[in-house]
Amino acid sequence: MTSVGSTSNVERPRKSTSEIEVTVNGVREHLVVSNRKLLSDVLRDDLGLTGTHVGCEHGVCGACTVIVDDLAVRSCLMFAVQADGSTVTTVEGLAQDGKWSSMQTAFNEHHGLQCGFCTAGFLMTLSKAEPADYETDAEIRELLSGNLCRCTGYHNIVVAVKAAWGRGATE
Amino acid sequence: MQTNKRGPEFNPGFEFVPAYMGAQVFRREDDDLLVGRGEYVADIRLPGLVEAAFLRSHSAHAQLKSVDLDAVREFPGVLFAGSHDDLPGIARYPDWIDYQQAVTTSPLADGRLRYVGTPVAVAVARDRYEAEDALELAEVDCEELPVVMSVEDALAENAPLLFEEWGSNYLLDFPDQDDLVDELIAKGPVVCGTYRMQRQSPCPMETRGVVAEYRRGRLTVWSSAQSPHILRSTISILLNIPESKIKVIVPNVGGGFGAKTHQYPEEVIIPWLAVKLGRPVRWIEDRTEHMVSAVHARETLLDLEAAYDETTGRITALRSNLVCDVGSGEISMSGTATALVARASVTAGLKIPSYATSVSCVVTNKTPSGAYRGFGAPEAIFAVTQLIDKIARQTGLERADVHRELIFDPSDMPYLQPSGARIDSGSHREGFERILKRLTPAVEARRNEYQDEPNVRIGSGFCQYVEPTAPTYFGTTGHWTSHDASSIRIEPDGGAFVTSGITSIGQGTETAIAVLTADALGIPIEMVTVQTGDSDLCPYGLGAWGSRGAVYLAGSILKAAKTVRDKAVRIAAHLLEASDQDLVIGDGGFQVKGSPASFVSWADVGLVASIRTIDLPDDIEPGLEETAVYDPVNLEHRIDEMGRINGAASWANGAQACVVKVETDTGVVTVLDYFALHDCGPMINPQIVDGQMHGAVAQGIAGALFEDIRYDEYGQPMSTSFMDYSMPTASEIPWIHVDHLETPAPEMPLGLKGVGEGGTIGPAAVITAAVTDALHDLGVVIDETPITPSRVRAALRRGSDPLGPSVK
Repeated sequence: MTSVGSTSNVERPRKSTSEIEVTVNGVREHLVVSNRKLLSDVLRDDLGLTGTHVGCEHGVCGACTVIVDDLAVRSCLMFAVQADGSTVTTVEGLAQDGKWSSMQTAFNEHHGLQCGFCTAGFLMTLSKAEPADYETDAEIRELLSGNLCRCTGYHNIVVAVKAAWGRGATE
Repeated sequence: MQTNKRGPEFNPGFEFVPAYMGAQVFRREDDDLLVGRGEYVADIRLPGLVEAAFLRSHSAHAQLKSVDLDAVREFPGVLFAGSHDDLPGIARYPDWIDYQQAVTTSPLADGRLRYVGTPVAVAVARDRYEAEDALELAEVDCEELPVVMSVEDALAENAPLLFEEWGSNYLLDFPDQDDLVDELIAKGPVVCGTYRMQRQSPCPMETRGVVAEYRRGRLTVWSSAQSPHILRSTISILLNIPESKIKVIVPNVGGGFGAKTHQYPEEVIIPWLAVKLGRPVRWIEDRTEHMVSAVHARETLLDLEAAYDETTGRITALRSNLVCDVGSGEISMSGTATALVARASVTAGLKIPSYATSVSCVVTNKTPSGAYRGFGAPEAIFAVTQLIDKIARQTGLERADVHRELIFDPSDMPYLQPSGARIDSGSHREGFERILKRLTPAVEARRNEYQDEPNVRIGSGFCQYVEPTAPTYFGTTGHWTSHDASSIRIEPDGGAFVTSGITSIGQGTETAIAVLTADALGIPIEMVTVQTGDSDLCPYGLGAWGSRGAVYLAGSILKAAKTVRDKAVRIAAHLLEASDQDLVIGDGGFQVKGSPASFVSWADVGLVASIRTIDLPDDIEPGLEETAVYDPVNLEHRIDEMGRINGAASWANGAQACVVKVETDTGVVTVLDYFALHDCGPMINPQIVDGQMHGAVAQGIAGALFEDIRYDEYGQPMSTSFMDYSMPTASEIPWIHVDHLETPAPEMPLGLKGVGEGGTIGPAAVITAAVTDALHDLGVVIDETPITPSRVRAALRRGSDPLGPSVK
């Protein structure tokens, strides 16, 4: 957003671009991207992977979470050029041969999503979580606390995680 | 009691056999949403798409002198830049509401700027990065004006006026007075309290966004909106384009919660640009924009005074005065309607024989306020619950007993409130008792758990409420009333294609439509395909708001299904050379009773109806489809001569309770246990109803404890990101234990009542009551939300409540 009263006198930014190579969901991509373009925008605009959603663009909501080289990261806080040489997985890469992951199945069966906007972020965070590290409900909630959801009250997300991880039933 | 305007109660006209309704049916929406295949407005890709960005006022109150966009236009990649005068042919929003001051805003500012975030200019460039860069070069000249940042400021003598022509800052002012109320309150004993709920943001995870394209003489608009047809009509009026030349598509919506019911400036400006430029144009709101330009809600001051019976604590008369800070008021679909609902909700669901409720809406230099899930009811129940508890503390009676005095019994049904609200059914008392049964052992357990921690106090709170569902829109819009329509078409292969004016904003509406259609036609659910949110394909309807979907879907789908069924049976009977009466529907077709070999499928019937029409009986026309409208018989749109209205087609009810932990050293409040009971009549999909309750309760907890839209004294917003608008995470929200009762509404299709908003009504009420319960012997009474640690610590320091230590 731009505001009235801004006094900055911005010169036209020099359009500098870079060539990058990334492997996204198993496909090698060679791209020319603007240096300032966010990874989230390149995934969505240049690669058409619109399953990664942008909810705040300041790194709080977690909707844009993707996996870069085995780490869950916020793609709105990362320039695409920083992903040069990396392997990226997005929500489109979770199902294998059209078959949902156990977490995706659990989200469906336990109504762990409503509008679906935040869902990819939760699924990506969970895809790299080691269940043994999160024994209690409180620890699971702590794991999920980097992702905001406005629809579910988190209740059925936690239920789904516990189901996928073979934990005892929750009310 | 009011009489039905259009005859007897709704009856589907056939035996409705619920095979899917009430059962566990997993959501069909998830097939796309779980794998990243959803289509939200920001995902729309069109050839030649360019992007718009808006320049917004940084001043809270100013007179716009000039906007110089020359440098913006020269910026490489910019296709267009304009302020108000550069976008001719856009009308002002019409003034349809006769009970308040006229606010006829122009989509782009044309003189006065009344809040930070007012759209001033727009630029279109190849992408948003360039459009935002270019707008940095805009030169705006404004004359700053004194700001009005609170109700007190707004009503002070010689206060600066936002709209000089009004002569005051009242957008609406409805005083109310009743001699009997005055008399009873003068006689006493009385209880009084002043309660304040803070400004909040509905804050869906997906911001707003609009894409528009003008091609082959038609305008197509994609918007993250709750009501596609209402948007189409609005665009038609403001741009003077015939409705038939406009198609509005609402794709997947990432939550709305009321914020997306309004008709925003960008939803008109982006289509204008698409026509002007002959290229598809997109605008996707960023989060900071959302926090200042999408509606806020709930900021209300409630002043309550009641006379009560000394022995029982029963309220005999109640006087209330509500003052709602509606921000600048410049929003289409006015933000005042929530205040009117809040006024009615102070006494809705309570047996209070006499009351007088005044309400006023005051404008200030803040973002306009508007609809947010609960729509006025959470504010009211929050205040009245504290008042009831206060009677208990004043009299020494049990809190629950004082509440019990006011609760409806089945024998009270239908209960006609003095406001005109006609509550025809419910489980009000049973719900309340059930919630207390769950609460009591939980309080005990928590007291034991924390008994050795000197700085921890445990408290509990509870309330019960009614929830107006499937309401009229006439009071809110002054234009649209409320009906909705669905259409069922049997395809040549026997599949059912269903469209509806009800849309989805993420609740699972498509699944609900499939369930209702499958059961109404007696077909497997896999045979049902659902399409919503497309104004070309769907019948005119009002969309998703007001917890209205279930009622209007059932009403319209059952009606359409009856016609389709009857015709299908006649065709099947002809094909089977049998009589209509001898056929039964099931197993994906029609069979002659008692002779399973005599069977034709829906595919057989569909083929004959639409393709092999030579096999139709002579007296039946080809085609097998029906569009039906549902318009509830008991819903009223205008107040009568006594000022009464039954503004909701059905009234759900609920009860909520919680246990909180308050740390007296830090002031931190933690919700340990939350119980919510809801009665929306028979449930279409219990899992979805549970989900609605969980989410709504969580939003209520968020408002009770965390979220707060704040401004500084100059009108600068201080809550413009998720860093400073604290939406709760999974760690702050407890397990939400949901129970259901299912009391059918006698006049509603299938006995249904709406669901969606009810969960938001209780949390501020019960959490505030619980914190007061935990701390009142320290002289603390909480009367303001959010209950932040600093507010609790300040209250503990004051310990100022005169009633504090005396009663338990």
